[in-house]
Amino acid sequence: MLTPTERKAQGEVTGADEELRIQHRIADLERRFGAPDDPGNPLGTAALLAADERGELLAEAEEVLTGFRLNAEFVPRERGGRLDRIDTLGRVLRTVFRRDASLGLGYGATTFLAAVAVWAAGTEEQRRRVAELLLNGGRLAIAYHELAHGNDFVRNEFRATPTPDGGFRLDGVKQVINNVVRAEALVLFSRTDEAAGSRSHSVLLVEKDRLPAGRLRYLPRYHTVGVRGCQNAGIEFTDCPVGGDALVGEVGDGVELALRSFQITRSVVPSMILGGGDTALRTAVGFALDRQLYNRSVLEIPHARATLVGAFTDLLICDCLALAATRAVHLLPAETSVYAAAVKYLLPKLLTETTYDLSVVLGANFYVRGGEYGAFQKHVRDLPMISLGHAGTAACQATIIPQLPRLARTAWYGGPPAPDGLFRIRDPLPPLDPARLALVATSDSLACSLVGAAAELAGSGARTGAYRPALTALAGELEAELRALQEECAAMPARDRTVLASPRAYAGADRYALLLAAAACLGVWRQQDRDRHRGTAGRPGPQSAAAGFLAGPGWLTAALARLVKRLGRPLPELPSDGEGHLLDEVLARYHEGRSYDLYDTPLAG
Amino acid sequence: MMPQPTGAQLPDPPVSRPPGPTRAALPAELGEREFARWLTGRLAEFLGRPAEDIDPRTPFAEYGLDSVAALSLYGDIEDEFALFMEPTVAWDHPTVEALARCLAEEYARGGPARADGPAGV
Repeated sequence: MLTPTERKAQGEVTGADEELRIQHRIADLERRFGAPDDPGNPLGTAALLAADERGELLAEAEEVLTGFRLNAEFVPRERGGRLDRIDTLGRVLRTVFRRDASLGLGYGATTFLAAVAVWAAGTEEQRRRVAELLLNGGRLAIAYHELAHGNDFVRNEFRATPTPDGGFRLDGVKQVINNVVRAEALVLFSRTDEAAGSRSHSVLLVEKDRLPAGRLRYLPRYHTVGVRGCQNAGIEFTDCPVGGDALVGEVGDGVELALRSFQITRSVVPSMILGGGDTALRTAVGFALDRQLYNRSVLEIPHARATLVGAFTDLLICDCLALAATRAVHLLPAETSVYAAAVKYLLPKLLTETTYDLSVVLGANFYVRGGEYGAFQKHVRDLPMISLGHAGTAACQATIIPQLPRLARTAWYGGPPAPDGLFRIRDPLPPLDPARLALVATSDSLACSLVGAAAELAGSGARTGAYRPALTALAGELEAELRALQEECAAMPARDRTVLASPRAYAGADRYALLLAAAACLGVWRQQDRDRHRGTAGRPGPQSAAAGFLAGPGWLTAALARLVKRLGRPLPELPSDGEGHLLDEVLARYHEGRSYDLYDTPLAG
Repeated sequence: MMPQPTGAQLPDPPVSRPPGPTRAALPAELGEREFARWLTGRLAEFLGRPAEDIDPRTPFAEYGLDSVAALSLYGDIEDEFALFMEPTVAWDHPTVEALARCLAEEYARGGPARADGPAGV
């Protein structure tokens, strides 16, 4: 790390310096949480499981997050917070989600989801007030959806009727709103016009202490299967006046603002929940190491080994896609609309399936709610809740499907490949500008970066070594899949672009998301090689040791093979020692306490 | 990205189809009636119902055309008429009648120029 004098001499914060600051922040939060498996730790797994059983957020953990000023992560730096980069936000919050998804959502993420609309379109005064509220430890609740309408929120009936004085009169009910009772302010999606369509809703920032008495009441709490600690309840407004200064953006801009905000939140929430997948895998590895079955450790059973390696590979795939989506928010705002939907669709799905596979390794221990492996069942219950909340699977597919035929036809083989920076896991990014996020993607450089991959890998020389034939064949399958999908999109009837789309169109969105994930894996691998070369030239980056693993061909081969298999395409013969190599990495990261993602972050305990 | 080996055999690269007709290839004049007929046909395809069922003054949303699908209409307009409208054009002109009027006016005016060059290049 640079000394203060050196930094001053440079006159600016370099990328390496910024990366070190992020690592210190994560290490600080890890240290505050302490070792999860220490029974004496008031924030350990046992305490978090007990709070979950009670349907509460662990009070001591909330205090720690307040001490860390977690809310500063949600406030832009120019407003006094620490928010510069969406990829970093996901990375920091993983530390919380690794412990407890309820805490991650209930203390953190929902406040950010609400604040995004204000950062994107709020007035100077609204931004100032929200920044002040959050930096003082306050909360924002987000009330977009209504139960009866799900993600079809354009049908929402909650009314904000414009009044002659320029203000609004609120009437109606919003259900299942996280933190609605204890939040100081709400971001409300409300109908401001009776006409059907996409210009009839507006977003309001409603501060409770500015409302007249007796116009709002809370509805009973909803108890949920997962994220039990989250306090979801309803709220009802009756003839409640708010001033015109509550309006965020313009009247009628609600849907547009929601679609822009979703590009940020759909990108970052999946990145956060990777922390839960990390703990599920870590718990299963611990079990496999300890447990003796048939006179041998579970780890000696081939199926168990394959499952652990498969789960680790899935986590890497997920992180590659999350990386591309969160960095696209900064780098490719004209394309983020589809990437955000793809990651929000695919990542919870992959994680849910991979934790199911891991549950087979745990056997009957999967059902045990306490003790050493109790964290596992909690993550299994929590993960699908996050997949549903905020943007359901179908809603994300419905964002991709209408855009797919045109992207397939005009963008996939015409545009430049994604910029290097999209895949550079520790590099700085240009500032976030939500106004530049396009409602419809007009290019697709991530898909473009798959084109030519087979030829590139065929000529990749010593870097891929014994993996070269397999990698070349896998990339060939992916390119063939992209072509097949393009042909299918060309034949897709117009009806398939609406919510009435056929199952075939939904399958197309699934295949597209898998192809994007493959492109992201390839992109990360390409850039890691550069990091390594830079390292050997005498300028090692922070944590350059991890770059060795990511620069190797083993994980990439496993990742592409899993994606090709999911796409239902033929698999080439894979190098026989590939699984052993990855299992070594899984075990090393377990014993040395390093995260199961791209960042290889040192963990507490 | 790594440089591509020049000798490697590439499979037939599919090319992106040209973005649609240029203005020169289109009729000099297209009126509200022509746009309305095309829009009605397009909407009928979207909704899977006969064109004669579609009332020109009923909002698209009432037929079940969701926000995101409505956004995709701008691409069809671009491909068909070389008119580069904002993606939200079908939100701001939410019926066949209103959108046809808007498009006819833009067409008569020569259409908004595209800021970033032709589509798909």
